[in-house]
Amino acid sequence: MPRMPRLAIYALAAVIIAIFPLVAPNPFFVHVGQTFAYTAIAVIGLNILLGLSGQMSLGHGGFYAVGAYASAILATTYGWPLTLSMGVAMAACLLAGFLVGAVALRTRGLYLAMATLAFGFIVEIVAQRWVSVTGGTMGLMGVPQIDFGNFRMGPTYFFWFAAGLLLLVQVGSDYVFGSSIGRRLNAVKESESFAATVGLNVPLWRIGVFAASAALAGLAGVLFAHQSGFVSSDAFNIRLTISLLIATVIGGLGRSAGPLLGTAILIGIAEAIAAVHDIGLMLYGGILLVVLLLFPEGAIGLFGRRRGKSAAAPDAVPAFQPAIAGAANTGVRLDVEGVTKSYAGVVALRDATLSVEPGTIHALIGPNGAGKSTFINVVAGLYAPTSGRIRIGGVDVTDLPANRRARLGLVRTFQNLQLIQSVNVLENVMLGMERRHGLAADVLAFLGGSRHEARERAEAASILAFLGIGELAEMKPRDLSYGHRKLVELARAIAQKPAILLLDEPVAGVNPQEAREVARIVAKLRDAGISVLLVEHNMEFVMGLADRVTVLDFGNRIACGTPAEVQRDPNVIRAYLGAVEDAA
Amino acid sequence: MTLLNFFQLLVSGIAMGAIYTLTAKGLFITHLATHRLNFGQGDFLMVGAFASIGMLTAGVPAPLAVLGVLVLMGGLGYLLERFAIRPLDRLGDRAGAYSWVLTTAGAALILQNIVELGFGKSAQYAPPLFSKTRDNVINILGVGIFFEEAAIIITAFVVVGAFYWFLFGSRWGKAVYAVAFNPEAASLFGIDVRGVVVLVFVLAALMAGISGVLVGPLVSVHPHMGLIFTIKALAVAAVGGFTNPVGILLGGLLFGIAEAFSNYWDSAFGDLYPLLFVMALLAVRPSGLFGERRADVR
Repeated sequence: MPRMPRLAIYALAAVIIAIFPLVAPNPFFVHVGQTFAYTAIAVIGLNILLGLSGQMSLGHGGFYAVGAYASAILATTYGWPLTLSMGVAMAACLLAGFLVGAVALRTRGLYLAMATLAFGFIVEIVAQRWVSVTGGTMGLMGVPQIDFGNFRMGPTYFFWFAAGLLLLVQVGSDYVFGSSIGRRLNAVKESESFAATVGLNVPLWRIGVFAASAALAGLAGVLFAHQSGFVSSDAFNIRLTISLLIATVIGGLGRSAGPLLGTAILIGIAEAIAAVHDIGLMLYGGILLVVLLLFPEGAIGLFGRRRGKSAAAPDAVPAFQPAIAGAANTGVRLDVEGVTKSYAGVVALRDATLSVEPGTIHALIGPNGAGKSTFINVVAGLYAPTSGRIRIGGVDVTDLPANRRARLGLVRTFQNLQLIQSVNVLENVMLGMERRHGLAADVLAFLGGSRHEARERAEAASILAFLGIGELAEMKPRDLSYGHRKLVELARAIAQKPAILLLDEPVAGVNPQEAREVARIVAKLRDAGISVLLVEHNMEFVMGLADRVTVLDFGNRIACGTPAEVQRDPNVIRAYLGAVEDAA
Repeated sequence: MTLLNFFQLLVSGIAMGAIYTLTAKGLFITHLATHRLNFGQGDFLMVGAFASIGMLTAGVPAPLAVLGVLVLMGGLGYLLERFAIRPLDRLGDRAGAYSWVLTTAGAALILQNIVELGFGKSAQYAPPLFSKTRDNVINILGVGIFFEEAAIIITAFVVVGAFYWFLFGSRWGKAVYAVAFNPEAASLFGIDVRGVVVLVFVLAALMAGISGVLVGPLVSVHPHMGLIFTIKALAVAAVGGFTNPVGILLGGLLFGIAEAFSNYWDSAFGDLYPLLFVMALLAVRPSGLFGERRADVR
């Protein structure tokens, strides 16, 4: 199915924006159009925040107010030119977004909901009581309007300005939803450990999207202030935030076109409610409940579910050749030196030392509770060791967080699978990839149409084919069998172009035939020069594949050598067979 | 500030702090068991306050009025769980991760509107609960304090004590902790998980209702007062780390006392400083003053 290039759709939108005020039957329509345009900008920001990054804000009315007051006060009281006051106002919102976002940075969503609720409240109170600056409920009068010096044509110009900005913001939102940025935000939302594993700086992404969303709310506020020329604290109570949230959920959370529809419905509701003012709150509350409980996909969900990108199936899937990043095929070594990890006095790992030689497979085995998972989490950077050093290719990475280690080529899979449920298998694999070209080039490719990310898709498809699961590309992870999900994780890890691969029980729960397939693949990866650290219980798998084996028991290393040496080692035999309770 | 002032502010602060603690306990217990809570907790408090004013001014004897409020609030808590929380479970993945924030907030808007229609938008004072007149002062060690405040503090502490007994001393408390730890495992042990979830929401509503009854004589009551109490109860629960019930008690008292003094010091913006302080604290110590931080590793 040939798709209209996005650029054509946007050009059409621009034409509609251009002629709307000229054909509007009366000024009221233009005024509603203006309100629609700037409100939609705030709702788009909220939709990206809630729908994509999964963070809740109950304080966007506060950012809207900060934008409105900052620009209005600077332009009115201090006589700044509008361009400057608007820019500074948005910067102020960005800063406020960073500060509020920082409160919830290291905690779960509840704290963010709380902090934003408090922020909105504080802004409202300050606006009300700091009368000498904000004018309080009496308001700030004579705020300059955006009319480009032409009073009669002012409303038309303002509409063009606000709707033009809306179009730009919508293009940005479409790009975010349709590109690697959206996938990554989904990853950050669903699993922080996964996101860090594919090299994302989770706190930075979370706070960044929050601040950007705050800035968009601020832009809406700025436009509001310069629309009517009057700003009063009555406009910024909690109901403003609730209205923006209603528009977001009613349009359809997590869909790029949702905010436009939601804002239109919100404005319709607001006009209708004016007649039954007494029960306005009840209607708002009822709408929130009904939409969230009965139509969680929102209005846009009524137009059918989201299509996956009509994946413009790559013309031919090239055969995948594993290769390590960087020119020299020499491989990278991993050294773990004397690592100890204790949790509140319980020693899970004592003075563990292990080296993975470049381009070899090193297996780590041991009975349950031996400390293997702790070991792999310490190496990957999800746990900080109590003492000891970790080096990648001789470089000390002990103090680097997981995402920085991932960027150095240290890639892992998880024992408890971490796949992103909201995107398909192919896109899960693509999460492992770097963006091929710069942001500007990617945006241009996106605007151009269906070839966007074509090479990434082809490469991801070839990796899936390499693992023998090419036909699963369009499925969602939850629809796959356990064994297939393990293979998808492996595919995602391969897409990251690892220099060192940490495999955490890659064949646990996988049938014997699939296990042989995994063994064949891991051997190929090693032959391509990738160093592999393997944690696994399946002895047939380990002994047939590993070049060296280290055995842990109760946090201590009890043996290290070739598979044959380890199998003869009396300590190992005692650990595995000596005690009845270790029979597993 | 005279010493006398100091003690009077301290007592007023403890009285409000005890009420914040009670309200926050409701947030704590639902968050413990379900990882969700009522973003309209303050509005439930408001409903409790109005219900009590309505009955007291209609001449219902105080004990009967309190009982009536408790029955009403228990019913509201049940309805909230039944219609704003439980349906989200049926939606599964289709419901956003924090939909409960918005459904409970939506329910709060409906309550505000109903109270507005019934009592009007203007502020009201509740008649005193424990004494005949509002300004009944008793003398303790040479310091005159309002009898009403002292009685409210004592009542609040009795309720907090009952809450602790429930949580740590009763079978139901153990069931709540079991559900908090792992709902599936709890159901395998024969615990009625759904029943526990309903129970914690009813309890949370009761705590809000009692707070509402107690706060009526202390502050002016109006249909939109709930938001402030929701925010402050959340702040208090966050200072306690949402996991530590003793931390919430201390956090609530500290918050109330800090607020009393900062209001005295700056009558214009004094009520904002404790909130700002809590937000700054959370940025530095996300687990609150008394909570433990657990790593997120699966």
